[in-house]
Amino acid sequence: MSAVTMNTNSTGPVSTTRSLLIKWVIALLVPVLVFNFVWQGDYLINNVILGFINPADALVDTGSLIQASIFILFFYLVVLAFAGYLVAADTGRRSMLEVWVDVLIFAVLPILLIVLVNDNLIIGLALCAILWPIYFYIRRRVPFFARSKALLSPKSVSLLSAEQKAAMVRRARLGGFAFGLSLAITWLVVDLVSYFAGALPTELLIVTAVRTVFLVVAGYFLGWVGGIVAVRLTLSANANSANGGDNSAQSGANGRRKRQLMMLASSRAREEAREVVPNDLPLRSAGARRFFLILLIAFVLFYPVLDPFLFGYGTAGRLAGYTDAGYYVILALGLNIVVGFAGLLDLGYVAFFAIGAYAWGIFGSTQFGRLTNIIIQPEVLSWLFWPMIIVTALIAALWGVILGAPTLRLRGDYLAIVTLGFGEIVPVVFLNLDKYTNGTNGIVGVRSPAFFGIQWTVINHVPYYYLILALIALVIFANVRLRDSRLGRAWIAIREDEIAAASSGVNLVRTKLFAFGTGAFFSGIAGAYFSAKLGNVSPDLFSFNDSVIYLAMVVIGGLGSIPGVIVGALAVYSINLFILNNLDSIASDPTSFLYGIDQFIIHYIPSFTFGNIRNLVFGIILVAIMIFRPEGLIPSARRKRELHQAPEEEAVELGSLDVTTTDPGFEAEVRIE
Amino acid sequence: MVEEQAYVPTNEVLLDLQNVTKHFGGLAAVQDVNLQVRRGEIVSVIGPNGAGKTTVFNLITGIYRVSSGDIVLDGKSILGLTPDQVLRRGIARTFQNIRLFNNMTVLENILVGQHTQLNANILTSLFRTPGVRREEEEARKRATELLSFFGSELVSRQEEYVINLSYADRRRVEIARALAARPKLLLLDEPTAGMNEVETLEAVKYVRRLRDELGLTILLIEHKLAVTMGMSDRIYVLDYGRKIAEGLPEEVRRNEKVIAAYLGKPTASEQKAAGDAPYV
Repeated sequence: MSAVTMNTNSTGPVSTTRSLLIKWVIALLVPVLVFNFVWQGDYLINNVILGFINPADALVDTGSLIQASIFILFFYLVVLAFAGYLVAADTGRRSMLEVWVDVLIFAVLPILLIVLVNDNLIIGLALCAILWPIYFYIRRRVPFFARSKALLSPKSVSLLSAEQKAAMVRRARLGGFAFGLSLAITWLVVDLVSYFAGALPTELLIVTAVRTVFLVVAGYFLGWVGGIVAVRLTLSANANSANGGDNSAQSGANGRRKRQLMMLASSRAREEAREVVPNDLPLRSAGARRFFLILLIAFVLFYPVLDPFLFGYGTAGRLAGYTDAGYYVILALGLNIVVGFAGLLDLGYVAFFAIGAYAWGIFGSTQFGRLTNIIIQPEVLSWLFWPMIIVTALIAALWGVILGAPTLRLRGDYLAIVTLGFGEIVPVVFLNLDKYTNGTNGIVGVRSPAFFGIQWTVINHVPYYYLILALIALVIFANVRLRDSRLGRAWIAIREDEIAAASSGVNLVRTKLFAFGTGAFFSGIAGAYFSAKLGNVSPDLFSFNDSVIYLAMVVIGGLGSIPGVIVGALAVYSINLFILNNLDSIASDPTSFLYGIDQFIIHYIPSFTFGNIRNLVFGIILVAIMIFRPEGLIPSARRKRELHQAPEEEAVELGSLDVTTTDPGFEAEVRIE
Repeated sequence: MVEEQAYVPTNEVLLDLQNVTKHFGGLAAVQDVNLQVRRGEIVSVIGPNGAGKTTVFNLITGIYRVSSGDIVLDGKSILGLTPDQVLRRGIARTFQNIRLFNNMTVLENILVGQHTQLNANILTSLFRTPGVRREEEEARKRATELLSFFGSELVSRQEEYVINLSYADRRRVEIARALAARPKLLLLDEPTAGMNEVETLEAVKYVRRLRDELGLTILLIEHKLAVTMGMSDRIYVLDYGRKIAEGLPEEVRRNEKVIAAYLGKPTASEQKAAGDAPYV
C-alpha cells in the first residue's frame, strides 16, 4: 500500500529544514493561537498581569496570581522546547497537510468544542470522544491518508554520530527560535491592533514588548533543550547493516547501550517502531508523550488556580466534582490489580471500599469513644487521619485476604458469583451490626484530616483536591512498581495460564491472595478518603451497582493498563455520574445547545426526560465500546494483541491433558491449589 | 551407530515411581506403573495415544493427585505436593501443546520461569531496593544465557511476543523457561511434536546437550519411535495405562508386545520396517 521508500543513503531527514520548520511552526502555532484568542488564554495572562498592577481590582488574590503566572511561564517554556523537539525528531516523510489535519482534529477541535459548550470541560471532551473515533474511521478509509503509511522500521541501528547529533540540535534550536518568533510576531500584531482600537490598556504594552523579546530569546534556548531531549531518545535508522558490525567492539557503557539498542531494534514489533526517534510521526513518539505528560501534570497541579480564568464561574462546584471523581480512580487502579493483572473476576469490590470507609468512620468519630471508652480529642483525631490511612488500608487488605481465601479454587464464573456475594454481604453486615456501626443511620461527624493551617471544610475543596492528587500519585507509583516486579509477572502469568504458571514455580494460593489483598489495600485508602470527605458513612452508600461501575471503569479503560484504567475511571464517572446525571438540568437551561433538542423531543414525547433514558444511554455506550474497542480506551499492548490477533497468528489451542474432559472425575481431580 | 557418550549416567536413582495408579471415576488412566530414572540418564516413555503418558507426567508434577502408590524424588516422597512445590524440589516440565504465556515477551516468559530463583517480595518490589535491582539485572542476564543455549537467534528476539515466534522457537523458549528454575530433572512432553525431520534432528541434538552439557536428567515422552530409539538410554512402554515393556532401546524395539501395541499384528515386512535405522 505504501508508495514511500526509504532513502537508504541519507541518515538525515528526507525533507529540508525549511519545510520542517514551516510544518511544525504552523502545527504548533494554530492551537496556541486558538487557545489564546478563542478560549481566552490571553485573558488569563492579561488578567494576571493586570492583577499584579492593580491588586485591588484583581479577580483573585495575589497568591493565586503568582501560581497562575508560574503556570503560564512553564506552559510556554514547555511548548517552545516541544517545538524544538519536533523539528529535530521528524524525519519529514509525512506530509505537512496530514500533520496539520491531525493537529486540527486533536488540538484545535477540543478547544473549539469546549468553548462551544459554554466552557464546560467535561462535555467538550465528551463530544471529542464521540468525534474522534469517527475521524479515525474516516482516516483509515480515505486514500489520502492511507497513501503514505510507511513507518520507519529500522533494520539495523546504531547510535548517532557526533555530527548527526549536532545537526539535530541545530535544527531544534532553529525550530524553537522560529516558533518563538512567529508566536511573538502574531501576538504583537494582535496586541497592536487592539491597542489602536482602544481595547488594550497602556500598561500592557510593556508586557507586549517584554513578551516579544522573551519569546524569541527563550525560543532559541528552549529549542536547544528540545533538541537535547530528541538526541537522548534517538536511534538513527541505518539501512546499511554493515555499520552495525564494527560497533560491537566498543566496550563500556556506550558499547553496552549500543548492543542493547541493536538487540531491541532488531526485535521490535512493528507497532513499537513509533517509539523511535527520528520518527515519521514524532507526535506519537515517546519523547512527545513526555512533553504531553509534563503539560498535563502541570495543568492538573495548577488547576484550582486556573479554573476561574478558563472556565468562568462555578469553580467550587467543579472542584467538588473532581474530588469526588478522584477516589474512583484509586478504586479502578485497585481493581485493576485483581481483574486486570491477575485475571480474577471480582464482582464485589465495593465490599473493601465499604470496609475502608467504615474503618475511618468508626475510628475518626465519636463512635470510637463510645465503643472503647477511649476518648480522643477531635483535633487529635484529625491528625491521626494520616497514620490511619495506612491502618485502614491494612484492615481492608486483611479482609481482602480473608474473603479471597474461599474463592481460590474457583474458576471464572464461580469466582465472580462468590465475590458478588461478598459484595452484598459486607454492607448488610454493617447495616446489622448497629451496636458498632449505628445501622441505617450510619455514623456522622467523621473527622476530616488536619494539616498545618489548612481549612478542610465542605465548602473549600482545594485541600481535598491536592490530597486526592497525592493519593492517586502514590497509588499509580505503587501499581507501576508492582506491575514490573516479580509479583506482577506472577500475576500476569496466572491470568495467562494458571497451570503453566504453577509449573513455573508460582504459588497460586499466595499469589492470588496477594492480588486480593493488594487490591483491597488500595480500596481501603479510597474508603478512608471517602468517609473523611463526606463526613458520614452509612450502608446505603455501598451497593452492587457500584461494584459494576468499578468493573466497567477497568474494562472500558483497558484491562491491565494503568493509564487506561485512569482514563476509564474518569470517562465512566464523567459519562455516568456527571453528564447523564446532569443532562436534565443542562437541557432546561435555554442558553445551552441541549435546550433545542430537548424541546424538540418533548414535542413528540411529552413525558420525556433525560433522566429516564439515562441507563439506556449508558448501556448503549458500554455495548458500543465493547463492540468497537473491546481492548479498552488505552489498552495495554498485550490486550490489544490478544483481541485483535490476525487469524494466522493464533496459536493452536488443544486440550493439553491426556484425559478427555468428559470424564466425570476430571474437574474434581485437577488440583491446582 | 551410538557414539561415545560424553556423560555417563550413574546408577543412583533420582526419580522412582512405585506402583502408581490413577483413577478418574471408573477409568484407570494409569495402573500400577513402576518407573525409575537414574541421575544422568535420558529415559523415554513411549506408547500409543491414550496410553497414559502425559497423565504420568501430570502425576509426577502434582497436577493430578495419585490414587495409590508413591513417587519418590531423591529419596523423599513428592506425593501431595502442588506443582510449584514439585518445581522447587527440582522437577521442571514442558507441555505437549506448548503452554507459554502468549501475551508476554520471550524475556518475560523466562523471567517468570525464574520465579523460584528470585527473592523479591511485595515490599522490596515496591521500594525497589538495591537488592531487588541487582536481582532483576542478573535475572535478565541469566535469561540471555539460557536463550543462548539454543544459539544467538533467540537472544536477539528477546523482546518479541512469543506468539510471533515459529513453533520450533516456541518449544525452545518453553525449554529455556523450564531450565530457568535450575531443575535436576527435566520432563519433556513430546519435544519433537509437530516438527519435520530437520527440526527433529535439531531437537534431538539439543536434548542430548541438555544432558551432556548441563548435567540434567531427562525423562521424555516421545511418539516417534525412531527418535526415541536413537536418543534414550532406557525406554518404558505404556499401553492402556500399564507398563508393558522396559529396557534398552534394542530390547524394546524387538519386544513383541510393544510391536503389537503400536502396529496391531505385524506382517513380516512391517516388522522389518520397524527395525529401520533410528535417528542418531
